[in-house]
Amino acid sequence: MMLASSCSLQWPSSLDPAKVVVIGEQARDNLAFPRGIVARRLLSALWPSLPCSRSPVAGWGIRRQPLTVMASSVVDDGGGLSADSVPKAHAPQISRRLANLKPTVFTKFSVLALEHNAINLGQGFPNFDGPEYIKEAAIEAINTVGKNQYARGHGIPALNASIAERFNKETGLTVDPEAEVTVTSGCSEAIAATMIGLINSGDEVILFSPFYDSYEATLAMVDAKIKSVTLRPPDFAVPVEELKSAFSSNTRAILVNTPHNPTGKIFSRTELELIASLCKEHDALAISDEVYDKLVFEGEHISIASLEGMFERTITLNSLGKTFSLTGWKIGWAIAPPHLTWGIRQAHSYITFAVATPLQWATVAALKSPDSYYEELVEEYSARKEILIEGLKDVGFEVYEPKGTYFVMADHTPFGFKDDTEFCEYLVKEVGVAAIPPSCFYSNPDDGKHLVRFAFCKDVETIKEAMGRLKAKLKRPALISS
Amino acid sequence: MAQFLADRALNLTSSNIVHLSRLAEKFNAINLAEGFPDFPAPPAIKNAAIAAINADFNQYRHVQGLCDQVAAMFETTQGLKVNPKTQVTICCGQSEALVAAVLAVINERDEVVLLDPSYETYEASVKLAGAKAKHVSLDPPNWNLDILRLENAMGSRTKAVIVNSPHNPTGKVFNEEELADIAKLCCRFDCLAITDEVYEHLVYTGTRHRSLATFPGMQDRTIVTSSISKTFSVTGWRIGWAIAPEAISSAIGSIHEKLVDSAPAPFQEAAVSALSSGPEYYLNLRAAYLDRRNLVCEMLEEAGLSVQYKPEGSFFVFARLPETYPLKDVDYVAELIKSAGVVIVPGCGFFHADSSSVDSYKDRYVRVAFCKNTATLLSAREAIRRHCKKSKGSEPAIMLTASYGATEGSTVWCISCTKSGLPNEFVSAV
Repeated sequence: MMLASSCSLQWPSSLDPAKVVVIGEQARDNLAFPRGIVARRLLSALWPSLPCSRSPVAGWGIRRQPLTVMASSVVDDGGGLSADSVPKAHAPQISRRLANLKPTVFTKFSVLALEHNAINLGQGFPNFDGPEYIKEAAIEAINTVGKNQYARGHGIPALNASIAERFNKETGLTVDPEAEVTVTSGCSEAIAATMIGLINSGDEVILFSPFYDSYEATLAMVDAKIKSVTLRPPDFAVPVEELKSAFSSNTRAILVNTPHNPTGKIFSRTELELIASLCKEHDALAISDEVYDKLVFEGEHISIASLEGMFERTITLNSLGKTFSLTGWKIGWAIAPPHLTWGIRQAHSYITFAVATPLQWATVAALKSPDSYYEELVEEYSARKEILIEGLKDVGFEVYEPKGTYFVMADHTPFGFKDDTEFCEYLVKEVGVAAIPPSCFYSNPDDGKHLVRFAFCKDVETIKEAMGRLKAKLKRPALISS
Repeated sequence: MAQFLADRALNLTSSNIVHLSRLAEKFNAINLAEGFPDFPAPPAIKNAAIAAINADFNQYRHVQGLCDQVAAMFETTQGLKVNPKTQVTICCGQSEALVAAVLAVINERDEVVLLDPSYETYEASVKLAGAKAKHVSLDPPNWNLDILRLENAMGSRTKAVIVNSPHNPTGKVFNEEELADIAKLCCRFDCLAITDEVYEHLVYTGTRHRSLATFPGMQDRTIVTSSISKTFSVTGWRIGWAIAPEAISSAIGSIHEKLVDSAPAPFQEAAVSALSSGPEYYLNLRAAYLDRRNLVCEMLEEAGLSVQYKPEGSFFVFARLPETYPLKDVDYVAELIKSAGVVIVPGCGFFHADSSSVDSYKDRYVRVAFCKNTATLLSAREAIRRHCKKSKGSEPAIMLTASYGATEGSTVWCISCTKSGLPNEFVSAV
């Protein structure tokens, strides 16, 4: 692992010096390092004597000269409070970064669901299990000496190879399992490692509202500036002008989740090409969360990394959990070119250090699943989706049929509640069905308050029973006759 | 084989580590470097995991039963009552528990005191939080804590002290007096303590591991981190925890949720069973490790190293190179790989404090792990005996000189052979 001594610097050997970028404006303070490597905090964690100026991002450019390192002394960035200005006696025990984290809506509604014996269509994980052959592979690994001990930090070689193979099969891209694939504790950790490893404090990152809540939370933790672009019903299409104006010279990255939680949207080729061209124009990264890539009912899932000129600036994230109904195993991965992978790996090594070994072995078996597995998966989820959508429409919701994932968004306005939280509270307490109020997934909560998210990653009987409860107890307010 | 790199015990650049690892593989070396067992995990815990997988404990879950067990065990071993609902966070290994704890309480520009020699991730976690690490050296040969030195390192900006006991790499178990002194200083400077107690059950010869949290004034300012990894020989399962006062625990939980969301579900279930193991399990564990410790200490002394401090805890021996050995720990390690086919860890990577006295010994130590089958250790002993016989006499079979230097931002590691006529393969591994 790389902790360079204070007198030497170590470059990942895969770097091309021609791609070096100088940060900062003053030559004395500058440090040349390749764009998109690691967040400043990580650099200083690894190289204590590194001169790092806090110059603004504006002024970045690609330098074609050979790599040079200015060995000046550490420049104190000096921003914010001075060393002695916070009186110790009043210093809070909890760190400031917690100030940006909110309690999640999932906990609240899971607790309510339990209390009221409600059928839980809120939480995004199955109430059925994954295939036997994968569980057996885990058991076999547990019974094998050596497979219960630390794995190589960035993944067991067999799994990295399987991931690369699958990615190649799906996108046509050839990636090096050793240098371009990192196994993480679930996609959750892949997201955290990507943010911590690659996003600096103050960087601008574009998110599409509604978004999975951990994006906002991890970006808040690294103190990034979020710029949101809102997807709206009925088809949640990318608003072109809004997207274009979200990009600026300060944009560090855009986060794309496709297939999309919670809307079930699948980003089209046209939309991805637009995003790609903006990324290239503004020299920004694309972080693509593709955990639902196998749950596609209509259309085609496209990895933005496969578009022209995008692989070098894309981090593709995925996991075992959703595809194989083993969400508690926490096996995920990040695929990115070496200079980005390096940053992700550094962060990952300080977050969990290594990922559960026997479950990695089982994931190798999972990724060998035949095509028929995925076809059946889609068929079964399609059937559940139909039951849910029919049931929701039947009682009066306006339903936005998803093209992918196992979520569906519906408009609850016909039922006369002031907002989504109130509606969902009523739904769980009085009707006995738990769903998620999605307004907290929007930068502007008002955009989501007329909507509700249902999950159909439940067995058919459960969904039918839930629909039965809706039919029996969820009524539209009576029309007032004049 | 690159697993022993993950220990991050080497303050070498990764190309050097990879180089040593490649050497180790090439010579099919016996690995006494890596901090994990080569023997199977106990059948009971494996069966518990298998049962959990078969019983469909495979989705995201919060396993309150595990929090309950952790709290119960903490009360049994340390006599402190904690609320399992509000004071325990289950994490992906102690690694994640520590970084979550650090991110939960350490702000940028805070200072955190570390006791050196120290496991590298502490410093890295501190820096990840944007804070400053201050290293206070423990003194050889017994790694005693000079309390005045600690006091001088603390000040108004000190947010926390990190205490690892039983200690990696030295195997030291901080005694009551040292812990009491650390506690008094934490109270005086009104700072927190974060402990790493992963080797808590690996203590020998009547030594008792006492958590810093049990000292006066410490319960409300200590975050205890630990795991099942070392106790149950399942380092690859990633189940650990943090025990902290309520407000801090809640903060750790929030950070943990954002970092990884949850630890692997079936292993959380298995941990519930493991933590309800009776006292015989721990007695047997300690007895087995004690035998291995003694074997390895003898082996090292026979080889001419000095084991000035026989570890009272952990599964590492931190031995000092023979005074007559002219080169550094990294050279010794390389030599041992080539000549004896045994790989251990050069100690330099654990020393961070900047002082001339530390400089005088920071490359004189090596760390040897004894979390291995007795058969492995016996083979290692044989191999080292042969190596010693070979190198007795006036001329060493192979004299390795090692140098590393920085040129233009890159680090070059060279091993050259001084004995002529050796086949090229001995010099090719650069």
